[in-house]
Amino acid sequence: MTEADKLALLKDLLLTDDRAYAESIHKKIKALEEIINEQKKLSHKVDPIIDQRLEEFIEEIPETLGPTITEALAEQIKNSKDQVVEALYPIMGKMIKKYISQEISLLTERINKQLEDSFSAKSWKRKFKSWFGGVREEELLLSELSSISQVEQVLVIEKNSGLLIGQYAKTETIDKDMISGMLTAIKSFVEDAFNEKGQNLELIEYELYHIHIQNFVSFYIAVAISGEYNLIFKNKIQDIIFNFTDNFLNLFDDLSEIKEKDITNELEFYFSTNESL
Amino acid sequence: MKASKKIILLGHFGVGKSSLIRQFVENTFTSDYKVTIGVHILKKEIKIAADETISLIIWDLEGYDDIRKTRASYLLGTHGFIYVFDVTRPATFENLKDDITYLTDQYPNTPLKVVGNKADLVTKSYLKENKDIFSVSPNFFTSAKTGDKVDDMFIALAKELVK
Repeated sequence: MTEADKLALLKDLLLTDDRAYAESIHKKIKALEEIINEQKKLSHKVDPIIDQRLEEFIEEIPETLGPTITEALAEQIKNSKDQVVEALYPIMGKMIKKYISQEISLLTERINKQLEDSFSAKSWKRKFKSWFGGVREEELLLSELSSISQVEQVLVIEKNSGLLIGQYAKTETIDKDMISGMLTAIKSFVEDAFNEKGQNLELIEYELYHIHIQNFVSFYIAVAISGEYNLIFKNKIQDIIFNFTDNFLNLFDDLSEIKEKDITNELEFYFSTNESL
Repeated sequence: MKASKKIILLGHFGVGKSSLIRQFVENTFTSDYKVTIGVHILKKEIKIAADETISLIIWDLEGYDDIRKTRASYLLGTHGFIYVFDVTRPATFENLKDDITYLTDQYPNTPLKVVGNKADLVTKSYLKENKDIFSVSPNFFTSAKTGDKVDDMFIALAKELVK
């Protein structure tokens, strides 16, 4: 064995492990390269498919998820009405304001046009009233237009029990017996709360409606009115109520003797013949 | 013939006054407890004879620990009372005798029914064995949950009102 052979043998013996280690690293690097290349190849193939699917999905959302979202929203709104109202109120308020101001502008325009065109006796009367009264003619016309008030319902109610004695309604509303009871409860509560003997609740306002309450000893009459409720209208309503009680109810000693139908007929007679209220 | 009568339910908080009314008027029951504030009014028409219908205007008052605190103006013109207590809560019937005496003194001519509600939560034998714990013998043991004796109780009072 020559010196060179001996040296080669010694190298083999000493460096075998290092070589195996280098080979394993080489294999790992190769495998990684393959994975990376494979992914690049894969993404070239897969990406267009994913993009296409995504586009299709976005296009199909209204059809596929629409009913579910609508249902979920409807349920959410149903369960959180107050929150929805609170959220919508500022938006709705602005819309309503805008709508009203637009309608008022239109109305003013129409009034101005009518004033320019009109030469009727009524118009001349209004003009005179305006000249001598110092009120603008537009305002007079507006007050004429806005003073349309209507009696919607009249209830004659026993004061203590809150039981309905008789009623007249232009349109059907919710149960009149329950309205009579609740009105009496509200009246009792307000009158008790302020602890003033001899003081009675006389008016309830809600949005476009007013409930005029005329109190008597053993009963009271509640008149639901839509539209404007002013002092003149109040006086007219009171006159009708007093005529009705004087000419009809006061003829009976005991109100329970009167048939409900008779009261309805009388109320209809007194209130429907005063449609121009 | 049709007549309207005002009846009032009285009793402590949470004894089931509103549930009794709901069971009678709507045939429904819910275990969700919502406290009555002020007064709630419901109506039911019942036929008590072939040619006689009665319209019950039922006032469901908020519960009070002391019956004397009930708003007197709500009680005016009442045709009948139903005093309700909870058979499982002694606090709701420990002043039963005093409360009933107060009502019969103040409204001597007004019919009154004393009702032990939530009877479904105890056995019938328990009620029989412990009847002495109620200082006034109840007219009915009802269950607003199952509806047991609810209609019977309202109808019995209604019949008494038209006598």
